Amino acid sequence: MAKIKNLKELMIPITDYPHMPYWATLEEAVVLLNFSYETAHDTILVFDESYGLIGVLDQKEMLRDIHPGFSKLSTKKVSDEWEKLISTHNLDQLKKPIKDFITPFNIIVDIEDHVLTAAHLMLKHNIDLLPVKESENVAGAVKMRDIFHEIAAFILRF
Amino acid sequence: MGQMRSLLSIFKKIKFKKADIPKASPPDGTPFKERYDCFQKLLADNNSILETMADMEEKLSGDYMFDMHYVDSKCNILIEKVQSVIENLDSLSNGEYSGLYDAFEKINAAIKNFLAKNIEIPVTEFTMPFEDVTKDMVRSVGGKNANLGEIKSRLNLPVPEGFCISAHAFKRFMDYNELGDKISIASLDPVSMVELTRVSKEAQNLVLNARVPPDLEKSISDAASELERKAGHRTGEFYASVRSSAIHEDAQFTFAGQYKTILNVAPEDVVSAYVEIIASLFTTRAIFYCKSKGFQEEDMVMAVGVVEMIDAKASGVMYSRDPTDEKKHGIIINGVWGLGKYAVDGIVEPHTYVVSRDIPGTILEKNQPVQQDMLICRLDAGVIDTRVPDYIRRMPCLTEEQVITLAGYALVLEKHYGKPQDIEWALDLNDNLLILQARPLRIVAEKRSRPVPRSLHGHKILIDKGQIACKGVGAGKVCFVTNDEELKSFPEGAVLVAKHTSPKFVTVMNKTSAIIADVGSPTGHMASLAREYRVPTILNAEIAMKTLKPGQEITVDAINGSIYDGRIEQLVEAGKTENPFKDTPVFEALRGVLKSIVPLNLLYPEDKEQFSPKYCETFHDITRFAHEVAMNEMFKIGEGAHRKGEAVKLHVQLPLDIRVIDLGGGVENGSGKITVDKIACIPMKALLKGMMALEWPGPPPVNVKGLLSVIAGSTMHPNPEKAFSEPSFAVVSREYMNFSIRLGYHLQTLEAYAGDSINDNYIRFLFRGGGASHDRRARRTQLIKKILEKIDFYVDTTGDVLDGRVTKYDRITIEKKLDIMAKLTVFTKQLDMTLFSDDVVNWYAKEFINKHYVE
Repeated sequence: MAKIKNLKELMIPITDYPHMPYWATLEEAVVLLNFSYETAHDTILVFDESYGLIGVLDQKEMLRDIHPGFSKLSTKKVSDEWEKLISTHNLDQLKKPIKDFITPFNIIVDIEDHVLTAAHLMLKHNIDLLPVKESENVAGAVKMRDIFHEIAAFILRF
Repeated sequence: MGQMRSLLSIFKKIKFKKADIPKASPPDGTPFKERYDCFQKLLADNNSILETMADMEEKLSGDYMFDMHYVDSKCNILIEKVQSVIENLDSLSNGEYSGLYDAFEKINAAIKNFLAKNIEIPVTEFTMPFEDVTKDMVRSVGGKNANLGEIKSRLNLPVPEGFCISAHAFKRFMDYNELGDKISIASLDPVSMVELTRVSKEAQNLVLNARVPPDLEKSISDAASELERKAGHRTGEFYASVRSSAIHEDAQFTFAGQYKTILNVAPEDVVSAYVEIIASLFTTRAIFYCKSKGFQEEDMVMAVGVVEMIDAKASGVMYSRDPTDEKKHGIIINGVWGLGKYAVDGIVEPHTYVVSRDIPGTILEKNQPVQQDMLICRLDAGVIDTRVPDYIRRMPCLTEEQVITLAGYALVLEKHYGKPQDIEWALDLNDNLLILQARPLRIVAEKRSRPVPRSLHGHKILIDKGQIACKGVGAGKVCFVTNDEELKSFPEGAVLVAKHTSPKFVTVMNKTSAIIADVGSPTGHMASLAREYRVPTILNAEIAMKTLKPGQEITVDAINGSIYDGRIEQLVEAGKTENPFKDTPVFEALRGVLKSIVPLNLLYPEDKEQFSPKYCETFHDITRFAHEVAMNEMFKIGEGAHRKGEAVKLHVQLPLDIRVIDLGGGVENGSGKITVDKIACIPMKALLKGMMALEWPGPPPVNVKGLLSVIAGSTMHPNPEKAFSEPSFAVVSREYMNFSIRLGYHLQTLEAYAGDSINDNYIRFLFRGGGASHDRRARRTQLIKKILEKIDFYVDTTGDVLDGRVTKYDRITIEKKLDIMAKLTVFTKQLDMTLFSDDVVNWYAKEFINKHYVE
């Protein structure tokens, strides 16, 4: 029976994530995630000037930011014409800095904390990615899918 | 040099003392301003060295005339400048590259050695009889005397009695009258006819008015009496011919006809004739010849020969081979009735005999034109032009037997000297053949790859007769020369057309594209000079003065012997030969010294082992090395800047705290705060303009505060707060900028020089650090490399350190490149964190180039 992993083992080191400064444009973010396709990364970590982690930008958020039709608030059926995706408005959106679109990180978990603590925080704040600190540095982040996998493995043992 | 070293060490000591004075200065002890001044001087010297080298190299093309003074003075300029470059680098680097002094010393010695060919005049008797002279005594008695002595003492061929007045005697004469100091031709420009004429006149007057020292006068008179005694018994009455025998004459260079010969001199007049011959050392054409052939003032030494005058029945010139074609197996003998001067000067058309070299005693060709005039000795000294007596006018001047005897002498002489000979001979009244002179024959080597067509369809042949004196093809406008005065205004590239030949034509041989004379022979002095300068020459053309018109464009085919109307490029091309000037000693001297000056061995600055003083073999190496190293030394200037108290804050709309240190001219005068419009530094202005044109990152999103920091893998700044509060320093002058910019976690130094001289201008960019992990920082380095290479930088990278440079662009281009650098600076700010993969790097590079780079 496989050993249950702790948070340290589940965490992906920060250096393995795509990341960007907050002044990068949405277009740059699209480019970065697109180039990261094969790594299965679906989020970008966003930092401030002094390399402090300030937020995250994920695929869903990016699509909503580019195209108003994808907005949670939009009630209209989205057009099925591809060309609509590259309207002037949408292209202008791409030039905007990502600081306008990021989801801020307000919580952080310590590397010594329990996996279930992390799970609890993520569910409580409805997030898929949780930063992990080690001493006074951000060491990495855990993904909901990895936490789920550990929880599932434990449940299914019985 | 040793002296210079010790001076320099004193200089260093002084500097060291200066550094002890507590004064705001970088840690290495030399104030910015002083270092910058050294750098400026180094750049200026570097430029003038490069210009001087280029000028010298251009002269090697052979399209220019220059003299030894040119080579000397250019070498001196280089020596002085290279020395100054080393001294300035020494100050700039605090003596780090003292190995350059050794390299300099070696090169300098090589150049000096090459140029030092001062003639030491051997101390000998003032006068020496020919029987005591051999060919090894050229430096004591001159080439002509030495040869005549050799023929008399070693070959036992018939030579007139005579004696030499030595080079030592010349020195005595010059020293006694202090003429060495009074006559100076070293700095004379041989191309300026007016100047040449003035100097020549002055010098000749000085010589002619000088006194012959009593001891020398006695020696000459005694030798003349002795000669009279020896020769008198043969001729009854004694007269002498007094002839020049300059030290270089007849050796490698003909000096044909440059100096005076005085015929039929009475014994009591030998001393005054001697002075006249000395004076002829300074005729316009002799000075021109000397200077253009690369001889130095010290080389102008004149020995004199005093030879029993042969009252010649006939005389002439003989060549042991055909000077225009060495392969032809004939000995050529030219002769005229009377004295030979008319034959060598081309005054009359001589009788010509060609004798086989292979079958002894076989005369292959004979040409015996009717001779109207002849030159003979007067009874009371001097010579006179007279009609050739009727009874001999139509007769050959030599019998067949005499022709064959002469041809035999030619072969003996050629064998003895090991090379073809140019011989003057005379037939005395008793039918004795005598050798008057022998010297190496100048043969024009054929170096043509394509044959010159014999005749060309569609082109009019104007003249189809004459004798070729120097093979080749030349084209230009006809310029008649009827007197010496006309030579002064002889136009560049014209064809000299004259009735008679004259050695004085030498003064325009660098300008004329061809020479045609109606009278004259290929065995004359002028022909010999034409061959030396390789001017295509046709002599004895008979009708040139009548047929051709001044200003008419013609092509002289001195290969087939035809003169065409108009310029025929096809012929000119086909007739091209090596440049004549390229064989002269002055050319050789230039070529020789340039070997120690121009070749560049230090090619790769990145090769630290080879790129060092000990591998500097030429002045070019030294300057290249010094320039490169000086830039490195200057680059360090910014490193100490933050410790300097003189920095003033620049008020600018940029999220940067910039402090400026002005080395002079970098900031406009005026009190108050420094704003962008007060910046006068050319590179700084360009950079700031570029930086301000871009949008800088705005403030972070409101209400979002970074959760701890990551600074993954970076040890640059453990304390980020401090990293963002450090100012950037710019050390500036009007043309120079050294700007160390701290942008977050990375440090970049941008150094540039943008002045009026392309050679000085450069941009250097050093970039290192970053806040992201090493792989991302290295990717940013690669990104910058890609962009810099696009704008022609040479870039070297190691990990996250980048060192790029671009050199030698004009000021405007440097400014344009700085504008791009400014944008690059903003663009790459903390971009390292984004560079997740190489694909991202490529995308950004493309993005930047599309946005900011205009070809």
